[in-house]
Order: sequence, then structure tokens, then C-alpha cells
Amino acid sequence: MIDRDPSPVPSVVEEDPGRDLVVELADVGRVHQEGAQAVHALKEVSLEIVAGELIAVMGPSGSGKSTLLNIVGGLDRATSGRVVVEGEPLDLLSPPRLAALRRRRVGYVFQDLNLIPSLTAVENVMLPRELDGVRTGKARKEALAVLGEIGVADLGDRFPDELSGGQRQRVAIARALVGERRLILADEPTGALDTATGDDILRLLRARADAGAAVLLVTHEPRYAGWADRVVFLRDGQIVDSATAGLVTAR
Amino acid sequence: MNTEYAYSVFMSIRHGLLALLSQGSRHGYQLRAEFEASTGATWPLNIGQVYTTLARMERDGLVEPGEQDEQGRIVYSITPDGATEVGRWFATPITQTERPRDELAIKLAMAVTTQDVDVAEVVQAQRTATMRTLQELTRSKRGLDSPLDVAQTLILDSKIFQAEAELRWLDHCEAVLSRRSLQHPQEEP
Ligand SMILES: Nc1ncnc2c1ncn2[C@@H]1O[C@H](COP(=O)(O)OP(=O)(O)OP(=O)(O)O)[C@@H](O)[C@H]1O
Ligand SMILES: [Mg+2]
Repeated sequence: MIDRDPSPVPSVVEEDPGRDLVVELADVGRVHQEGAQAVHALKEVSLEIVAGELIAVMGPSGSGKSTLLNIVGGLDRATSGRVVVEGEPLDLLSPPRLAALRRRRVGYVFQDLNLIPSLTAVENVMLPRELDGVRTGKARKEALAVLGEIGVADLGDRFPDELSGGQRQRVAIARALVGERRLILADEPTGALDTATGDDILRLLRARADAGAAVLLVTHEPRYAGWADRVVFLRDGQIVDSATAGLVTAR
Repeated sequence: MNTEYAYSVFMSIRHGLLALLSQGSRHGYQLRAEFEASTGATWPLNIGQVYTTLARMERDGLVEPGEQDEQGRIVYSITPDGATEVGRWFATPITQTERPRDELAIKLAMAVTTQDVDVAEVVQAQRTATMRTLQELTRSKRGLDSPLDVAQTLILDSKIFQAEAELRWLDHCEAVLSRRSLQHPQEEP
């Protein structure tokens, strides 16, 4: 809160190239109806993410971290409040336009991976690009490049069930990073990895943020949250606090 | 380092006693017994330490001596300045990077036994402060050229591990404390 832009004139925010808003959540709530009981997965969550920012979300199990990510990624809908991604209010988008926004702009690493078992590693990574209409040859080249960045270039032709848990994790991350993603959402992307490999993943996410992407990362590991510009703490569906790294470096 | 440690334990004892006095007036032996009970006897106190600390706090206007009880023991009460000081202690995260973790443990132990203090808030304030430290350390480490700055990198790593351990420990404290409050919902003072 204290680290917010101290400028007294809020209207300049839109024009300031240093504050290129990618995600804007205002008083977002998500209620699940469980019979007569209402489960408040998120309560009045407000959060802004600008291009170039890496934000980590921490909190106990069941505190709403995945729900937050799903809502930002348009995979789940808020029951109250406003969700704007890349200037588009998600609740006003038709399903096909929402799907297109997700495919082109958003890279997503799920908590439970979701690699397609009948496709090889490289085909899994190519898939979102092909869905975007990128030619097979180009998509393959891009996919191999990202797999290389992440240290699994030689595993491209294997199927998911021929990979270790950690290797599958890396392929899933490659899939989220391929193409020009403006927004990268990662739910426990370091889950099955040892610390050195986890650090490599964070270095990659950090590099994407430094290159102008907005990155939202859910993690239980303080060491990975340490890479973030801002760490948001969730409890019972609410943001209870946030830690901002010292002075924001001038870009 | 050692004197710093001694100083910090001394300050924690001072604040711990003050927190107990914020619950009501007490004499020295009571304070000693309750302090040891709150901290699980991890920080044994001798009665001399208690009275020296009380005398200094009296000098600083944080406590005041009252009447003697039947056995001739002086009962101490907290002053408004003392109450302010306790509130400040609970609200302020510990920020030295080289701090002994004991001070934090004393603080949390006292927070549990002090009414009107939200332990979750004390834990969260510390968590945020420690996370900020971890962010800074990670940032410094990113700026290093690790093959060249081996010593620097290792020192930073050691501090990163310390901050991580502390954050994990805070999660653990919170889990233990919330389980405890479920088991003893309205434990009386
Ligand atoms: N479809 C659903 N129906 C009912 N309740 C749900 C549903 N999805 C999530 N919830 C509830 O919403 C809350 C938040 O869940 P969420 O998956 O966001 O937690 P989380 O912070 O990601 O936890 P974890 O660290 O275990 O992954 C939980 O109480 C969960 O049980
Ligand atoms: Mg989750």
C-alpha cells in the first residue's frame, strides 16, 4: 500500500508507459454454492499487475490462490467485482473472444499439469501456437527453442508418460512460455522440481517479466516468492498483506 | 555479535515483563513464574534479573511500584507509557538481519498469553518484513556474477536460507497456534 504511486493525480496512470496495466481486479469475489452453504473462495480482492511485474501469491491451502489465478486467466468467473485483462473486462467477453484472449495473450501452468498424453512433448508445446494459426514448421522451431531454454530440448519426442514428474513440469512450463505472452499465470510451477531446477524456472519467469510480461505465480516456497517484485498473502479468500521489494528499479 | 545477542535477549525480557504487567499488576516472583510459563521455561530468569529490569523500567517511566503485599513484596503496575511500549513491540517486526531468533520466539510466546493481541497479526507483520528481506537478498544475488563472486554468493545464500527457514517457522507457529486456539476456544486469562 505504502509503495503505491504517490502521484496525487490518478488520471495520468493510463498514459504513464511505466504503468502499463495488464491485470486489474477490483473487489473481486467468488462464491461457490454448496447446497445451502456458500463457500467464499475469494472476498473483495483488488489487485493490479503492470507489464514487467512478477507477483507471487502465498497462503495456506484452501486460501483461494488457484481460484485467483483461474479468474485472472478467464478459466473461472468472478461472482462479484471487476476483472480486466489487457483492457478487456472479462465478464463482457463472449466465450469465443475469451478463449481467443486466453490463447493469444495468456500462458498458463496448471497445478495439475494437463499435458495431452497422446502428443509428444514438443507437440504439446506447439499446440497453443498452432491454435493461434502459426504454421507447423514455425511453431515447432519456437517450441524447440523454449524447450532448450528450459533444459529439456532432447526430450521433445517423448510422450508425457515417458517423462519424469519434473520433466513433465518443465514441458508444461515451456508450453506456457511459448509465443509472446503478455500474461503468464503459474500455479506451483516448481512443485516436482529440486531447488536448482526450481531456481532455473524462476530465472526464466523473471526474465519474461523483465522483458515486459506480467507474471502471477502461486507458490508455497518462500525462496521462489523471493524473486517477486511483490508478494501477496491470501488468507480465507482475502488479501491480508503484501511485501514489496525495496525501490522499484527504474525501467 | 554476542553483545548484540545479549542486548536483544535483555530487550525481549523487558518487553515480555511489560506484556505481563499489561494484564494486571504483579510482583517480581509472579512475573518470573509467568514469564517462564509463557516461554515454556526456555528462558530461565533469576529474580535478580527481574528486579533489575523492573528498576530500569521504573526509571524509564514504563512501570510504577505500588504498595507492598502481606509478605512485603512490592507490586508493580504498568504506566500509560508502558502500555504504549507494549503495543509498539507487538506491532513492530524485528528487522535486524543478524538477529537471534530467540527474540522472535519470546515475542510470539508472549503474544499468545497476552489478551487483546492478535497473534496472527504479529506473525503476519513479521512474515511481511522477512519476505521483504528475502526479496532484497534474491535481488542482490541476481546481480552477482556467481563464478566470480563465489564468497559473496555463498554469504547471500546463507542469508537466503535463514530467511526461508524463518518464514517456514512462522507458518509453523501460525499452524500450531491456530490448532491450539481451536482446542482451547475460550481459555480464560
Ligand atoms: N468448485 C468448487 N466448489 C466448491 N468449493 C470450491 C470449488 N473450487 C474451490 N472451492 C473452495 O474454494 C476455496 C479456495 O480453493 P483454491 O483451490 O483456490 O485454494 P488454494 O489456495 O489454491 O489451495 P491449495 O494450496 O491447496 O492449492 C477452498 O475452500 C475450496 O474448497
Ligand atoms: Mg491451488
